[in-house]
Amino acid sequence: MLEVSGLSVSYGLHRALEDVSLGVGAAEIVVILGANGAGKTTLLKAVANTVPAEPGRCVVLGGRDVSELPAHLLVEEGLALVPEGRGIFGELTVRENLLLGAYPKRARAGEAATLERVLALFPRLSERLGQTARTMSGGEQQMVAIGRALMSNPTVLLLDEPSLGLSPLMSGELFAALGRVRETGIGVLLVEQNARRSLAIADRAYLIETGRIVGEGPAARLRDDPAVRRAYLGEAAPGAALPSHA
Amino acid sequence: MLILDIVLGGLILGGMYALVASGLTLQYGVARIMNLAYGEVLVAAAFASYLLVTAAALSPLFGLVFILPAGFLASSLIYRVLLVPLVRRAKTREALEVDSILATFGLLFVVQGLAFVLFGGQYYSYSYLSVPVTIAGSTVPANRLLAFAVAAVLAVGIYAALMRTRTGTAIRAVAVDPASARLVGIDVQRVAGFAFALGGGLCAAGGVLVSMFLTFNAAMGVVFTMKALVVVIMGGVGNLMGALVAGLLLGLVETSVARLVDPGLTLAATFGLFLLVLLVKPTGLFGRAGR
Ligand SMILES: Nc1ncnc2c1ncn2[C@@H]1O[C@H](COP(=O)(O)OP(=O)(O)OP(=O)(O)O)[C@@H](O)[C@H]1O
Ligand SMILES: [Mg+2]
Repeated sequence: MLEVSGLSVSYGLHRALEDVSLGVGAAEIVVILGANGAGKTTLLKAVANTVPAEPGRCVVLGGRDVSELPAHLLVEEGLALVPEGRGIFGELTVRENLLLGAYPKRARAGEAATLERVLALFPRLSERLGQTARTMSGGEQQMVAIGRALMSNPTVLLLDEPSLGLSPLMSGELFAALGRVRETGIGVLLVEQNARRSLAIADRAYLIETGRIVGEGPAARLRDDPAVRRAYLGEAAPGAALPSHA
Repeated sequence: MLILDIVLGGLILGGMYALVASGLTLQYGVARIMNLAYGEVLVAAAFASYLLVTAAALSPLFGLVFILPAGFLASSLIYRVLLVPLVRRAKTREALEVDSILATFGLLFVVQGLAFVLFGGQYYSYSYLSVPVTIAGSTVPANRLLAFAVAAVLAVGIYAALMRTRTGTAIRAVAVDPASARLVGIDVQRVAGFAFALGGGLCAAGGVLVSMFLTFNAAMGVVFTMKALVVVIMGGVGNLMGALVAGLLLGLVETSVARLVDPGLTLAATFGLFLLVLLVKPTGLFGRAGR
């Protein structure tokens, strides 16, 4: 579905992403785990082309080379990004936010049916359609953001820390919704701090450190990997007071 | 009746302010271009209307059918030729605002210079429908009533289009958050260019309507730019409803002060109201963008 290779990004002299390659299949949830500043947000932005990547990268979506497409045309190809901080239109209503999601031509014909599906996924939104998005709770705003992305009828959904700032109950609801999104055949690339929850739901995972992919594998295997447990699941290393990992 | 005189006169003046400011709020609030040549476009449209009426003996309403689209096309051209290079190189919206002020300041002198060459410095006016109409004991020239009616139709039409259509919603999305707008597949530069052109069309329409009852000359553009900017900021930058309400309010306040206190104090009243609004609501009556 989505194949990325040779992706590098520099901010001035600072190399934030170094030759990253990864893939997301249809109906698959892939999670990217990494510490603060590892380059997770940069990775999603570079894939969605909202930050300039270095030449030589290759982004293939549904068999088509889309490396050179600007951000707004990538949406048209089926790539939807829910950015860090949600990026909803705070001054517009929930309904307007969702309908703007269906702005791409690929989404217009099925707009009404997609809206119904999104509201079935996030029933709380149906009572709030007329509300100004800015006045919603954090969790509800995240639902608007994901709902808006789904309205574009994507084949691949990129999510940047969707559970940030949500209560455990709300994050549970959110991860359950992601499971149902996967059932519709959409590939999900998820950046998360909540390693426990995301590894529980994901099919595969990549580990990223200072801009490089340092590990990957099926989520079930990484869940049991002692190094991963130490680094991301907060387990103390045997015989060491502080977790340390290479 | 004095009250009715003031209300009628204030609404008519305010209707012009509202229409003219709605064009500027599209240009400034959506395209983020602070167009200092805005008033010159309005004056150019007034001259065009003058020529159509005096030389070709057409009604200004008929002229509107040509001049509004001409304003749209000319603004679209200005955006593409003069402003797109600035949009491309601007790192932030603030940088674009500053760049656009410099570029359109140059444009102001070009358009104004042309107007001086063609028409000189004297005042122009033409007579159209200058028959008095009596409304509940108050008399108003028919041309002003007509201008108000046309302005109202245009304002309501553009408001409905912004609120109801997909493109209108996209325009508001760009006003609120251009970075997020591209994430829903909106071509921000194209939508901004369209909003800028639409603003130019409204500005030209305002010029035609104003020319039906005001005397004007080549130097007057700056006054319109300034008034429109005051209204835009009072209403909330990028907020169409704000521009409409603030425009009507300003018309009413100015007319009241002119009639009840002293006509020499209207400018003082303008800025008094401006300051008052900004003290109470720094982001304008309707806040930022959106509705
Ligand atoms: N616009 C920018 N200009 C300069 N440096 C940047 C910029 N954006 C990110 N960086 C740097 O690039 C590195 C990676 O940042 P990024 O936001 O991708 O990290 P992250 O993994 O998403 O972190 P977090 O978990 O805190 O969100 C950091 O060192 C950061 O300081
Ligand atoms: Mg991040």
